[in-house]
Amino acid sequence: MDAFLEFATGPLFRLTFAIMILGLVRILVLDLIGMFEAYRRAGDKTIPWKLTLSRTLEWVFPVKRVISHRPVYSVIAILFHIGLLVTPIFLFAHVQLWRDGLGFGWWTLSPGLADTLTLATIALGVLLFLGRVGSRDARSLSRKQDYLWPLVLIVPFITGYVCANLGVSPALYRLSMLVHVLSGELIFVLIPFTKIAHCVLMPLSQLVSTLAWKFPARVDEDVCTTLNKEGAPV
Amino acid sequence: MKTTPVNDEQRAKAFAPTKKPDVVQRQKLAVRYHVEDFNVDDRPRRFLEAFAAILRHSNYQFALDHFIRMSAKCSRCATQCQVYLATGDTDDIPCKRSELLLSVYRRHFTLAGSLRGRLLGTGHLTDEKIQEMAESFWNCTACRRCSMECPAGIDHALITHLGRYILSEIGIAPRALVVSTREQLEGKTGNTSAVPVPALLDTLEFLEEDMKEELHVDIKFPVDIKNAEYVFFPAVSDFLMEAETLMGIAAVFTATGDSWTTGTGYFDGINYGLFYSDRILERVVTKIDVETRRLNGKKVLIGECGHASRSAKYFLPAHCGGKDALPVINIMEYTYGAWKAGKLKLRPNAITDRVTYHDPCNISRQKWILEQPRELLKAICADYVEMTPNREDNICCGGGGGTVSIDEIRPYRTAVGGLAKANQIRATGARYIVAPCANCKKQLRELVEDQGIDAEVVGLHDLLYKAIIFDPAMIVEPETEEDAVEEVKPDATGSADK
Repeated sequence: MDAFLEFATGPLFRLTFAIMILGLVRILVLDLIGMFEAYRRAGDKTIPWKLTLSRTLEWVFPVKRVISHRPVYSVIAILFHIGLLVTPIFLFAHVQLWRDGLGFGWWTLSPGLADTLTLATIALGVLLFLGRVGSRDARSLSRKQDYLWPLVLIVPFITGYVCANLGVSPALYRLSMLVHVLSGELIFVLIPFTKIAHCVLMPLSQLVSTLAWKFPARVDEDVCTTLNKEGAPV
Repeated sequence: MKTTPVNDEQRAKAFAPTKKPDVVQRQKLAVRYHVEDFNVDDRPRRFLEAFAAILRHSNYQFALDHFIRMSAKCSRCATQCQVYLATGDTDDIPCKRSELLLSVYRRHFTLAGSLRGRLLGTGHLTDEKIQEMAESFWNCTACRRCSMECPAGIDHALITHLGRYILSEIGIAPRALVVSTREQLEGKTGNTSAVPVPALLDTLEFLEEDMKEELHVDIKFPVDIKNAEYVFFPAVSDFLMEAETLMGIAAVFTATGDSWTTGTGYFDGINYGLFYSDRILERVVTKIDVETRRLNGKKVLIGECGHASRSAKYFLPAHCGGKDALPVINIMEYTYGAWKAGKLKLRPNAITDRVTYHDPCNISRQKWILEQPRELLKAICADYVEMTPNREDNICCGGGGGTVSIDEIRPYRTAVGGLAKANQIRATGARYIVAPCANCKKQLRELVEDQGIDAEVVGLHDLLYKAIIFDPAMIVEPETEEDAVEEVKPDATGSADK
């Protein structure tokens, strides 16, 4: 168990973390290349930057949108995102690991706040899952991953809380830590290949849509030629 | 926005098929709107070929890649779609509609999807999926409210737009739009309402006489004037159905003294390409460009029409010269500018009845024109009220995306697509609904009629016409009583009074 835990926290962590980073960089670069190509081909290159930027900020910091529609769901979703990001990044134990590995660390959460955020994130994840199951609209749209993600995401939080706060037996501690690490690594690997890719792509969405409406010139002629429709009547 | 969904009886009426069974049989496609006879063989293959050709020559692919990587399916868009709120049918949720096309893209145009599909032998495009898309994409009014409400920023309107484009390439497009466009691009009259030039000139002359009689001002509709500042393109249907709007616009220009003209070479702002084919969109905006340059006009002036304004403003630069393209201005922008500059004087409280303003989606969704018409209305109306929600969040009239042109689906438009709008209008208690868009006007008139709302649908310039203060020097002497008597003399029976 110890050797496996060592492997999981060592080489496997580095591998999965690298997959996540490289995967995200890959899709980000592909997105940017696509956007650049679209801009290059666009007949009209004027971009409404102010509107695009304001709509982007509205969703990156969705305060304005919270109460307009489905306020309860929105508040839960926003708080869940805050918990997901803030807790692992600023947890003292995690920062300590980075400090050991990189030689530097950063500001950390107080133990009390970290615990509160952890428990809140778990509860919010469950609520999000139940919200999806309970909503006819959401059910009609959901794929397997949409149900699984809130549940998968709270596994490291549950196991992390167990390790940090509960006086469990050493064996259970190690098992819990192993699940904590492996579930975190599973998440790393899945992020670039699932909808969680929105963590890097979402800020680009408004610009992507704006650019996509910027059509290239000569669509008529080119599409007709490809489809052998030159001169065909309307 | 709260809307009680339609009941089963209303639903059956709204979705009643209008095609004869033998047509459905022949076309193997039971969509409600009338589709012309088309090739039914091997449709999935031809759909994919058209999809591939469009992806190759357009800018859609990178957006589809982006969307499939991050679609969260949260269903927030469901709170915004007036069609879904009226039908309660989850197939009408924008995100689900988008998935119809995204799933085809994922399966046939991405490596992972292709491998998965081949391994499992599933997910490939079938006739049934095409049928689903043909129904679904035309249930949408393309109002773009859902796109604004997607936290992931997925542009459902863009996806619907692309879906319709692909379908139209294999012959599945509403007959009403195709026939009109055929006349516009290949017919003798060259416009969607098939108005011949002599009829246009007669109409303008008739309107000039009417205005002289009503306002005692010599108001002209300039035709084929070279070097005018503005070349005017209203929705051509305005010449048949919106005389008051046109008179208001002519009156504004007479008051301001600016040069403008209608061109007899081409005088139609309508661009149905925006609703079903980018190829058509391009060809139509090119006609506007050619006519404006023929007359050596400085600017393209679009009348009270949402989609015509958007098509010209956003796609004329795309297809006709980029940054060197002719500037495009909507008539409301012009009138507002003239009023602000003091060239146009308006009488306060000229309209005493309660007035409300409907934001056409194509004009307001991108925050293009929001305040100008409101300020003008507040200047002339004693009792102006807002609809809720409004401006960029406003609800579509229910006839957007070209659906208003499809008379066969009027029950759908007024019972389903326009249900939320009808509730919104009722809540204002307004006597006049100002809808500065040819499509919105037609739809809203049918909507208030079918929904039993006691209100009149007008254009912004219809009301401005009643409020313009002309320079006293422009007032011409009214005809003398003797002249008037002369005019009615031929009918000595007194029927002229009837």
